[in-house]
Amino acid sequence: MASGQLVLTVLMGVFLVGVAAFLSRVEDWRSYTPLASGGGGGYGEAGAHVHREKPAGITRWLTTVDHKDIGILYGTYGVIAFAVGGLMAFLIRLQLVAPTGAVVGNEFYNAILTSHGITMLFLFGTPIIAAFSNYFIPLLIGADDMAFPRINAIAFWLLPPGALLIWAGFFLPGMSGAQTAWTMYTPLSVEQTNVGVDLMLLGLHLTGVSATMGAINFIATIFTERDDDVTWANLDIFSWTILTQSALILFAFPLLGSAIVMLLLDRNLATTFYAVGEGGGPMLWQHLFWFFGHPEVYILVLPPMGLVSYILPRFSGRKLFGFKFVVYSTLAIGVLSFGVWAHHMFTTGIDPRLRASFMAVSLAIAIPSAVKTFNWITTMWNGKVRLTTPMLFCIGFISNFILGGVTGVFLASVPVDQVLHDTYYVVGHFHYIVMGAIGFAIFAGVYFWFPIFTGRMYQRTLGKWHFWLSMIGTNVTFFAMLFLGYLGMPRRYATYDFNSAIAPLDMVTLMHQAASAGAILLLIGQLIFVWNILQSWLEAPKLEDADPWDLKETDQHGREFQWHERRTATALADGGEEEEAVTDGGEVVDDDADDTSDD
Amino acid sequence: MEEQPGLSDQYRTASPWPLLVAVGFALSEVGVFLDIFPIAVGGILLLGGSVAGILGESGYTRRPWRTLAFLGVGFAVLGGALVATQLPGSSVGLLEIVGDPNGIVGRGLAVVVGGTMLVVAGAVSQAVGRTQGV
Repeated sequence: MASGQLVLTVLMGVFLVGVAAFLSRVEDWRSYTPLASGGGGGYGEAGAHVHREKPAGITRWLTTVDHKDIGILYGTYGVIAFAVGGLMAFLIRLQLVAPTGAVVGNEFYNAILTSHGITMLFLFGTPIIAAFSNYFIPLLIGADDMAFPRINAIAFWLLPPGALLIWAGFFLPGMSGAQTAWTMYTPLSVEQTNVGVDLMLLGLHLTGVSATMGAINFIATIFTERDDDVTWANLDIFSWTILTQSALILFAFPLLGSAIVMLLLDRNLATTFYAVGEGGGPMLWQHLFWFFGHPEVYILVLPPMGLVSYILPRFSGRKLFGFKFVVYSTLAIGVLSFGVWAHHMFTTGIDPRLRASFMAVSLAIAIPSAVKTFNWITTMWNGKVRLTTPMLFCIGFISNFILGGVTGVFLASVPVDQVLHDTYYVVGHFHYIVMGAIGFAIFAGVYFWFPIFTGRMYQRTLGKWHFWLSMIGTNVTFFAMLFLGYLGMPRRYATYDFNSAIAPLDMVTLMHQAASAGAILLLIGQLIFVWNILQSWLEAPKLEDADPWDLKETDQHGREFQWHERRTATALADGGEEEEAVTDGGEVVDDDADDTSDD
Repeated sequence: MEEQPGLSDQYRTASPWPLLVAVGFALSEVGVFLDIFPIAVGGILLLGGSVAGILGESGYTRRPWRTLAFLGVGFAVLGGALVATQLPGSSVGLLEIVGDPNGIVGRGLAVVVGGTMLVVAGAVSQAVGRTQGV
């Protein structure tokens, strides 16, 4: 034990010395004196404009505070997390091909089930949305950067340690992955002595801090950094959804952080917050968790709805139908989302009058959601629809969102929920939303803005393959799950070798196999996606047309593409925008480009 | 929108501190919560140092070394308060409890040690800087 501490101390010392060495190489403290920061000091290197904006190589990525670079970092991180979480999901589906479990042990199954959920929600979902918002919100509102660029970078850099901690149980000696399921219900999560659970909770806490910092930054940016001609009246729909999402994060994530700290104290310092008897009991955890957990659903779905509302009109040749009502419905969902949490607890024995009121509010959320859905459909109605890959993903989003949404309405109803609670019906329902809707909108965003991210175009045929494999895969996998729920198959089980006298085992097995077959389609589709993105980014020819989607024809050339056009126009002939400094004079800036109001 | 694409070298978009703030935060959280003394102390050093650095770089504070010392005082007081919660009311049991710390005292001591090291680092560097005229 003592030698272990010694080794750790030495390692820590070496690490800190390394940090100091790194700092002394890249940074000059003396430039921090007030004289120098005033720009007119006696230190030769003080004037920032003498340097190029970004250092070269890996240092650029480790030290960047530029919103576009941070957006790309978030995106890369999100895709890696998506791959990890996706492979865990694939392993889950592989396991369930046979009633006795096909490939892994029950405990490992529990661990990947837990980690799949947490990875997809906290390490993929929230960060990938932040990728888009970091890159595009400043461009869409005409800001130079985020309001707090350094906090923006801190928020990102909290995520890699968070991910390592969440996955630590799998690779650190003497530990195993947490088996708490993503909901971490007490007393189960208090009783598991595995240190992997503590590390996962700490990692989760870090991602929560990160999300909160990001949210504060977006609120400040959208409120204070808008260009003069961007008003509340013509603020684009994606910024509206990010603003609402940030408000939800601000109220929801600190609560999760506090609940997690209390859970950690219960586990490590013998407090009794969630103890049965002298403490709040399991119900306290469920209330706190779902008071965060349900807004989290909208934290994840509102910005993708914004993406669809933004992209879909551009390939329909029409403006978004009922723009104002789409904004109002966003705000309505944001408010209502805090009044529905106990619909996750209908079967816990809470007061029936409470259940009824939570049922009413939950059903009420269907109204603004339907407003959005009908507005998307009416936007396409009689429009000049162009079935590009981003548009296909938008339409797929609507289709899947309807299926996920309608099944949600059933679950919001107390009597139906009492039958279907904790069955695969619930799993099918929310996967239609998180994969079928959120995932699809993310893909739409990636394809739509790929020319801006990279200056190149993706391979269209591969994009179509990706869409159709994802669409068919999603519906095969998750429709089978809805059906499994009707058959009474409980969620989370590692095996289902039931007595066939009490369950239609053949049918259950068949549906599980169907779901796994769909997962294979999904896996192939995502491999194609990653290949397409990577290869096109590296090898596709430079795109010379700054308006690759012909948005000018329908007067939908948004501020981000106007920025892209100016960047393309003023880039040096060799395409290296940062290769050498360019003088300020003599550049032709397209003044007309600034005066279009977006949407 | 005033960007001039390709030549936005008007302001710096690089800072070494955010990465270090995040890693320092993560390390100190893990170290303190799991009661791993070296990680807790190292994490607090890194967190305090990088917070002082980032505040100095962005112009919120004028003297990074003094900020460092102030942060150290904050940590030391926080850790001290944690230790104090475990002291018996009247008797002077400090030495005993430091000699054989329980979970809370061990964590508190780590924070105190980290904070004290920050104070010392800040004070020494300030003094050295003054003698060198920086």
